[in-house]
Amino acid sequence: MSREFQRGHKAKITDLTAGTDLYVGVQIGGSGLSFDISCFGLDARERLSDDRYFVFFNQPQSPEGAIQQLGAQAGDTDSFRVTLDRVPAHIQRLSFTATLDGAGQMSQAGPGYLRVVAGGVEVARYSFTGAEFSTERAVMLGDFYLKDVWRFAAVGQGFDGGLEALLKHFGGEVMEEEAPPAPEQGAAPVFAPPQQASAPPPSRRPRIPARPGTGGPARPPGSAAGPGLPAPARQHPAPGGPGRAPGARGRHHGGAHRAPGYFSGGQTPPGGVASPGGVVPPPPGPPGVPGRPGVPGQPAPYAQPGAPTQAFPAQQPYGQPAVPAQPYQAQQPHQAQQPHQAPYGAPAPGMPPHGAVGPVAPAVPGVQAAFERYREAPNGQRWTLQNPKLVRVDLGADPQPVLARQGSMVLYQGKVEFGYKGAGFMGRIVGNATGQEMQLMRCTGRGQVFLADDSSHVHPIQLENDAICVSADAVLAFDESLHHEVRRIEGHGIPGGALFTMQFQGTGTVVVKTHGTPVVLPVTPTTFADSNAIVAWSAASQVIVSSQVRLRRTSYPGHSGEAVNLQFRGAPGNFIVVQPYEV
Amino acid sequence: MDQSLIAGHAPTPPAARMENHGSSMLKVAMQSGHDLFARTGSMVAYEGFIQYEPNAPAIRQMASQWLTGEGAPLMKCSGDGLLYLADYGADVVCLNLNGESVSVNGTNLLAFDAHLQWGVERVKGMAKFAGQGLFNVVVSGSGWVALTSRGTPIVVDCGGGEDETYVDPDALVAWSSNLRMKGKRSFKASSMIGRGSGEAYQLGFSGQGFVVVQPSEDSTDRLRARG
Repeated sequence: MSREFQRGHKAKITDLTAGTDLYVGVQIGGSGLSFDISCFGLDARERLSDDRYFVFFNQPQSPEGAIQQLGAQAGDTDSFRVTLDRVPAHIQRLSFTATLDGAGQMSQAGPGYLRVVAGGVEVARYSFTGAEFSTERAVMLGDFYLKDVWRFAAVGQGFDGGLEALLKHFGGEVMEEEAPPAPEQGAAPVFAPPQQASAPPPSRRPRIPARPGTGGPARPPGSAAGPGLPAPARQHPAPGGPGRAPGARGRHHGGAHRAPGYFSGGQTPPGGVASPGGVVPPPPGPPGVPGRPGVPGQPAPYAQPGAPTQAFPAQQPYGQPAVPAQPYQAQQPHQAQQPHQAPYGAPAPGMPPHGAVGPVAPAVPGVQAAFERYREAPNGQRWTLQNPKLVRVDLGADPQPVLARQGSMVLYQGKVEFGYKGAGFMGRIVGNATGQEMQLMRCTGRGQVFLADDSSHVHPIQLENDAICVSADAVLAFDESLHHEVRRIEGHGIPGGALFTMQFQGTGTVVVKTHGTPVVLPVTPTTFADSNAIVAWSAASQVIVSSQVRLRRTSYPGHSGEAVNLQFRGAPGNFIVVQPYEV
Repeated sequence: MDQSLIAGHAPTPPAARMENHGSSMLKVAMQSGHDLFARTGSMVAYEGFIQYEPNAPAIRQMASQWLTGEGAPLMKCSGDGLLYLADYGADVVCLNLNGESVSVNGTNLLAFDAHLQWGVERVKGMAKFAGQGLFNVVVSGSGWVALTSRGTPIVVDCGGGEDETYVDPDALVAWSSNLRMKGKRSFKASSMIGRGSGEAYQLGFSGQGFVVVQPSEDSTDRLRARG
């Protein structure tokens, strides 16, 4: 379950999750804005002393792979996989930053978040909006830092200048040996950012937090990264710095768009399945064991005294905002300015015209600001995952029809026809006999169709002349170019004699729906799945029915209840998809 | 008792009148003199001194069109404290209206400030087709409104061009009330013999504005089912 962070809040990772293999997702956006999300691996003096730990679009992972950039997926603008116990000792802080690419300023950004996901479950989320910033061009969103144990801090610190200035801030000065940093605090660098949670400074001026460890350089705030600063002519020798990135950059974006889902792209290699779909298993920590050995003297009571976030001060009047960043009272002036309230149905006078949301500083009150995180994803491909539960098919570029489950359309734009798709006489007989029947409709025309079904999770899987087996119940939609047929899995001990599945073959996309977040397992010599919970598997893997019918046990009332299991065998590269829901 | 595993769910101090607590719970900071209308039965917890009036005369009058013969599915909440509302695990979206005007499907409205102007309308031409009838509530003014959505919603801009936006009425959550709306039937003769596409009726929107849609076509009113 997710814990909401405010700017300045900090927590130990162990308090959030027992795992150290974390997924970090950043969502940030705004009309007409494009962002680069990067991760700086900093040393004890908060300097980028090792260029290889600057993980960004041109260097998607650190040398030992502790930090990997995964690209856009699962509704996040960009995402990282961070394996904290593989981070080398000299890297003591991982700072996640978002920098604007192209024109714009941070105040035009819509609401966004930085979230930490462990084992498929979101454990921390720090939400922010562009209204917290002004003319900054970059923002330091959040940090993982090592202080005895790894901790997470929601930073939310704006920064003037773009990626280049941020690079200089973290490392440029070190190269020039000007202002040698004087670690007054001795060997152990103690991180103490300004206590913004209790007293956020009213100024929105981009400040560089005067951290005790790095106070030595004494660069005046604002001038360090200000655009007017006569920047040193020397390029920072980061590998593939922003100066010579454009070529690779386009490739990066293309790559990120090709693989939007957890396991799109057909045969996901086993190494690539470490995605937020619950595949990253947290190490077997001792959850729930009181007095954990790793955390001495930290019983973490409900409403810790050290964490002001959790203790709701009772003497505080209700409704009085503790964080005066976006006070509720701020809406009172708005009311005062607008004594004339619109009658029903009339065009709202305060509603900003569409498309003009960006240039005007988006006021926090307003329907558009609240909806910013639910905006339609940009156009581009035929199949786009809009959010984990909605998929959009664009019938513009490629006029070939799409077959979808009947009634799964929730919205369409353009001229689209929905027609009945019969299975044919033989198809109906086969479908009836095997239970693998699909009630389909054919979507033709030109426009965008949004498909969803009963708020189940949807996953586009792209086939490139290969095949996948999907249970017919789990099919939401597919390209009509794909050939599909009912396939039989034989085995003894199955009630009904055999299991049936739907096999799709060819080149195109199948959209699979699952109840809940699925797990995508690579096929190993010992891969088993419940026949009721399995959703899909790559057709190249061989299925064996292993029925664990033990007569002695089943005669007891409390037997395991797992009668028919499927075992999968296949070459590396095959995968199975299992949902947390047994039909 | 070791509460460290659930301590992360303790409430954060309120920073605004309405906030999400997690994705599917709404937290309202109540102040006396600043009343709230909420769906009857949506309260899951409260802290402080809050009173509920299930059938306030003001509501009854405004919502007389809502469902004939029954009380309005709204209650008036007043007092000081923190109020937690939820609707069977549906996602909650908070809107801070700034003189704007929003039409919300009746079943997707969770709560709104009592000082907002609001009225109930029957969606034209819809009641005959959708089983429970479609009512929408038009809310305008400056204040907070909370919507529910089964699954993460999506907001689509109506371009205003020649391409209209068509929505499955069961998946519709809210729309900007200046949009033009019309029903579209896609019945064909073949639908009568069981060969329909499953999409019999859509609502078309045109004009400048937004439409909010949920990724689920289950629009049954769960809070009413409790009686």
